[in-house]
Amino acid sequence: MKHILLIVVSVLTVSILPSAGLLAQSRIITGRVTDADEFALPGVNVYIKGTTEGTITDLEGIYRVEVNSPDDILVFSYIGYLAKEFSVGTQSTIDIVLDEDARQLNEVIVTGYSYVKKRDVIGAITSVSAEDIKDLPMISLDQALQGKAAGVQVTQSSGTPGGGITVRIRGNTSISASNRPLFIIDGIPVEDGALALRSFGGQNDNALSTLNPNDIESFQVLKDASAKAIYGSRAANGVVLITTKRGSKGAKTSVTFDVQRGVIDLANKLELLNSEELVELQREAITNSGANPDEAGIIKGVTDAVNTDWIDRVTRQAIMEQYQMSLSGGDEKTRFYSSFNYRGEEGVILNNQFLRFSGSLNLDHQVSDKLKFGNNLTISKTRNDRIKGDNFLDGVYSGAVKSLPFYFPFDENGRIIGPDNSNYAGFPNFNPVGQAVLPRFQTNTLKVLAGVHGEYQLNEHFRARAKVSIDYNDVAEDQFEPSSTAIGGFLASVGGQGYGVNSTGTYATFINTNTITYNQTFGDHVINATAGTEFLQRTENTNFVQGRLFPSDDFTYITSAGIVDAGSSFSISSGLNSYFVEARYDYKEKYFASVTTRYDGSSRFGENNRFGLFPSVSAGYRIVNEDFFPKNTIIDDLKLRGSYGLTGNERIGDFAFLGTFASTTYNGVTGTAPANLENPDLQWEVTREANVGIDLSLFSGRLQTTVDGYSNLTSKLLFAQPIPLTTGFGSLQGNIGEVSNLGIEFSLSSINFDGDFKWSTNLNIARNENLVKSLADTLPLFRGYTANGAGNTNIVKVGYPLGTFWGLNFLGVDPATGEAIYEDVNGDGQISPDDGMVIGTAQPAFVGGITNNLSYKGFDLSVFLQFSYGNDLLNFSNTALLNAGEDINNNQVRKALDRWQEPGDITDVPRYELGNTRNNWHSNRFLEDGSFLRVKNISLGYNVPLRYVERFKAQGVRIYGSATNVFTWTNYSGNDPEVSTLDGSTTAQGIDFFTLPQVKTMMIGINVKF
Amino acid sequence: MARVALILCFLMVGFGCNDFLEPQPVALLIDDLALNEARDVPSVEIGLYSAFRSIGAPKVIAGDMTADMLTHIGTFNQYREFSNKQITSANGSANALWGSIYRTIYVANFILERLPDVPGVTETERNEVTATARFLRGYAYFVGLYTFGEIPITTTTDLESNRNVPRASREEVLQFIRDDYFAATTDALPDDPVNAGFVSRYAVLAARARLGLYEQNWAEAEALATEIIASEQYELEEDYADIVLSDFSSEAILEAGYTVNDDPGTDANFGLNDLFRGRREIIPSNETVIALNSDEAGDRFVNISFNLSALGGADNGWSVAKYGTADEDNNNIIIFRLGEIYLIRAEARAQLNRLFGANSALEDVNVLRTRANAPLAVANSTEQMLRVIERERLYELAYEGHRWYDLVRTGRASVVMNAFSPNWSNNFERWPIPLREIQNNPSLQGAQNPGY
Repeated sequence: MKHILLIVVSVLTVSILPSAGLLAQSRIITGRVTDADEFALPGVNVYIKGTTEGTITDLEGIYRVEVNSPDDILVFSYIGYLAKEFSVGTQSTIDIVLDEDARQLNEVIVTGYSYVKKRDVIGAITSVSAEDIKDLPMISLDQALQGKAAGVQVTQSSGTPGGGITVRIRGNTSISASNRPLFIIDGIPVEDGALALRSFGGQNDNALSTLNPNDIESFQVLKDASAKAIYGSRAANGVVLITTKRGSKGAKTSVTFDVQRGVIDLANKLELLNSEELVELQREAITNSGANPDEAGIIKGVTDAVNTDWIDRVTRQAIMEQYQMSLSGGDEKTRFYSSFNYRGEEGVILNNQFLRFSGSLNLDHQVSDKLKFGNNLTISKTRNDRIKGDNFLDGVYSGAVKSLPFYFPFDENGRIIGPDNSNYAGFPNFNPVGQAVLPRFQTNTLKVLAGVHGEYQLNEHFRARAKVSIDYNDVAEDQFEPSSTAIGGFLASVGGQGYGVNSTGTYATFINTNTITYNQTFGDHVINATAGTEFLQRTENTNFVQGRLFPSDDFTYITSAGIVDAGSSFSISSGLNSYFVEARYDYKEKYFASVTTRYDGSSRFGENNRFGLFPSVSAGYRIVNEDFFPKNTIIDDLKLRGSYGLTGNERIGDFAFLGTFASTTYNGVTGTAPANLENPDLQWEVTREANVGIDLSLFSGRLQTTVDGYSNLTSKLLFAQPIPLTTGFGSLQGNIGEVSNLGIEFSLSSINFDGDFKWSTNLNIARNENLVKSLADTLPLFRGYTANGAGNTNIVKVGYPLGTFWGLNFLGVDPATGEAIYEDVNGDGQISPDDGMVIGTAQPAFVGGITNNLSYKGFDLSVFLQFSYGNDLLNFSNTALLNAGEDINNNQVRKALDRWQEPGDITDVPRYELGNTRNNWHSNRFLEDGSFLRVKNISLGYNVPLRYVERFKAQGVRIYGSATNVFTWTNYSGNDPEVSTLDGSTTAQGIDFFTLPQVKTMMIGINVKF
Repeated sequence: MARVALILCFLMVGFGCNDFLEPQPVALLIDDLALNEARDVPSVEIGLYSAFRSIGAPKVIAGDMTADMLTHIGTFNQYREFSNKQITSANGSANALWGSIYRTIYVANFILERLPDVPGVTETERNEVTATARFLRGYAYFVGLYTFGEIPITTTTDLESNRNVPRASREEVLQFIRDDYFAATTDALPDDPVNAGFVSRYAVLAARARLGLYEQNWAEAEALATEIIASEQYELEEDYADIVLSDFSSEAILEAGYTVNDDPGTDANFGLNDLFRGRREIIPSNETVIALNSDEAGDRFVNISFNLSALGGADNGWSVAKYGTADEDNNNIIIFRLGEIYLIRAEARAQLNRLFGANSALEDVNVLRTRANAPLAVANSTEQMLRVIERERLYELAYEGHRWYDLVRTGRASVVMNAFSPNWSNNFERWPIPLREIQNNPSLQGAQNPGY
């Protein structure tokens, strides 16, 4: 009650005071407000102390204010700068220079279609700046978010350069529609995920790796409805806004050269059996099956005469290098930023490399004080020499892990052993060295990201802006597998005599955005509003051709193929028409409120549900600005925030709502066959999001923390619901259930020491509870890999999170017989897939990261740790590498030495018996704790003192070194706890299936600025 | 303010963007357009054949791998389960066969529902396509009945009724098959279509003969077989190898047709040439290798081939020769051919106690023995004659997917299979209803076949 009284009193005071001024003698004072570099500061509050009379500076920093007496004191205040007071006296022109207040949250950040001072943000937004990521040797810009932003979980699917990266913001909202956030670069929604057409056994490429991370100025991760509902039907998975670097006004032109070189090694090598141990094991397995190992040809001293370490044979120490030159500068009218970058990174697997050339040019030009234009342009070309992996028998790393040590990659003349050699291992592991070195899998990508925008200041309140952009991606895959490889030669039914594939894909998104913004200040009331329209069209054209039966391996292009037996051309487009408004209000930077709404129409839905409305409301309350709040305490900012709104997900692929027939063939004749069941009522997934947060700043900003809690519910889940095959179809695209995400995020940044020795710490930690709340019918959905004896590896089940593992419950090994014991869950006296049960979850309890930055004089050190706790990982590789003798085609991990061998043995590895599948049924025997703490990066830099540098007319020289994936603490027995073979999968995440583990990069670099 | 509105209007008028919301699909045809005019009929009929074709491969796996003719040496567990006789309801081949059966039934139902209303279709064409749809639907139920036991009957394309449908009784399914076969026994079907990839009048007779054999209607089976043989529409291939190594032999009555450009390796489920030759997931069992190399088998050893370099470990070095590689044009899957018709008649005659002399079981068997350059058969009793025919079916119809069905219907599975594998259980006389169906069709819950 007392508070309300205070508010009422202050409102009254505000309205009464100005009337007193009318009595005094008034005159006009003008002037210009700039920063220390003489840049105009627009929007500075200029008011007479003790009154509410005042104005704000215009775009050129010019103000004009009426004062009443020479005793008046003008106050100049601007967020991020130290306020200044000036006694008017008799002057009529007062130019003011404001000094930056380093401790303030002074950034202005992009929020969708407008800007807001970071300090006044009332949505849940996390920023990552170029400074935060400067020494990380990363290929792809999505890696930048790893461990740096609370609530953002980034998983690198493998150690392949330019490979797939999974980014999840506040958990998974969808079962089958995409869970990737929307990536927007300078206002352009860009392609993410894989671009290449051909599958590489889980080793996807990554569209975002075509862009140069060094051109990025900042990332804003929009996490709650207030921040992202402006993106409507595409926002449910969060939005990552990326701003590229631009030139600054009046700055001296600077040229920066940056060179990095480094080496890359496998971070962790899987320990396998040697020939001697494996022969022993295989003989035992054959004997246990009742056969004679000698007859089967597994003979001690003969079979194990060769002992090849296949992992060593296919891996190498790889080299990475990067050269970057950037220029930036500008005058009052024109500003520019331009860069050129080359990056070359070899993979640790032989013959694997990723090269990128990219250039960018961003211009801003002020035509008049009302009109300005700008552009952004990035062109990049990547070349990716790829390697088959994971879920491919002829994959290189997967083949090397599984290959029997009894074989050798080379013959006596040093030639690679191929299918025509009697020492070729053949099916199923082939010769992994040949599989790496012999094929040509070249993926060339051209990306053009270009946009031009114009902005017109209609009057002091209204500004119109229009932008037209394109994201153009062209992917060409040039592939040939000669007859000396598995596909090209050994598997007669596929290649026979060389196998060539050539494909191209063109993915272009055209987008036009038009906005009108409105800003007005009525005393202490500030209103910002934006209204706009957006039209987006994405087109996709793909072609491929396949040829076989080449005259010899010297002919590697399809023009020489004996048979061109497959090919296709395809085109598809989708569109989005949108209308949106956003309005923000703040009173004395104390009370904040905002409303946003977007109305989206998508081509992906039937006419009944083509348009959707996505509103949000939010409010903020800065308590420290209340009069009753005690002043001069350690608290210098305290703000409460809350938001509520709806967002959507439309990423389900095209034409899913139509009942369709597609082309088919029979006996050389073409016809049509049913392809898809109709569902005209198909509609958006809708996520209802609620968020509350606190921002707290202590000790003059030395300790800042943000806590957010959220509760999101996604309903009308888009899903290809499995239906019984008696319907003629396997699935029906529908809206079938609900998934909730409940979570809390905490981030803290603190300056522990300041002075010559500086030490700061950034910590973020997040917990997300994901739960399937309901499904259309009560039956669970099975997902993931087909699992022997248990149906599938994953289940979607009400009451459990997405990414829940399914399988039999392994109770141990019978000490008397060595047989695996499984729990008879349904009590029917036998073990069958019906005894499957939930055995774990891939969802971690906590994830986060800690960065410590230390500096002393010219030296700086940064140590970045990343962790995940409480998630299970399915070591699916062990269904082959610890297979209880099911077959003898694969090498085994060292744990196989613990197998049951004679009655009385107490162990958890069943008896090895050739051909016995029962002991290798899918169970929690293969499930492990996936928690880890990893020293993700350590970097050390030295800024050479200016007195040495200036001799070379340089402004600064920095020498630095960086190491990634330095050390990992984990109980996981496989290669690496941070892998996922089904790159990007939601229902089957956290499965390790012969995935190339993370690599260790050691790099040194030098940065010279002129 | 007026200027603001003006500019906004300009920007919005600048783009006629409603087109963005209605793109046209390029590789898909909307349901209602799929079968609405006369020229759609042949296309949709090909769709029906395509569905029917996909029954072929998993049915060969059922017939030969559930029994004793194949061994698994590859990596796919679904085949290892058959090889080791540790079959589970999660088995992928069971799912594939079930799916193919009901897909065929769905497309047939689609045609039978819509064809009467399609304008401009000639009476002849309407009758022919109707007969084809009923025949292929009947065949799908036939394979379903003898593989899975009592299966659900679906007669419409209605999603709601088809997704919640219980198992029908054996009699109901059998009657349904008989009705479809009977309706398809019509002159509307050609005697001699373009090739044996398409249904002829005799294919229907052959299917009815086989049904008669399976249902022990010996006289009917004998009469139908005789009608086919007497028609002289087909003649035995002189060289048995031609049946194995090429498509559309002179004795082919119905084959599931593939071409080099449309080979089974491109099927979503692995094609037989991929399983037998490409990946060599599956090889002939040692028992079958011995049988096919016996004197009695004669030329029929060509069903398998040997490669010394493959020998080693669990691999006996033998491969199934039928279905070839992707580049060889013998990928068709034989559904009915004259050789089987002789064996149907022989068995029916043996059961009718017509063992020797003119028009006897022995005469029919020896037709095949002679063609295979094998010694003539000898048998002194019905029992002996039935054993001779059982072996003769193994040699003659090897890898055409008959063995398991034969052993089960003659009651011989238990004896033969227990000798073959210690893991054999009589429950394996039927395949499991796929786990996926039990999970997704409420009417099938708790209705699994025993032992799974």
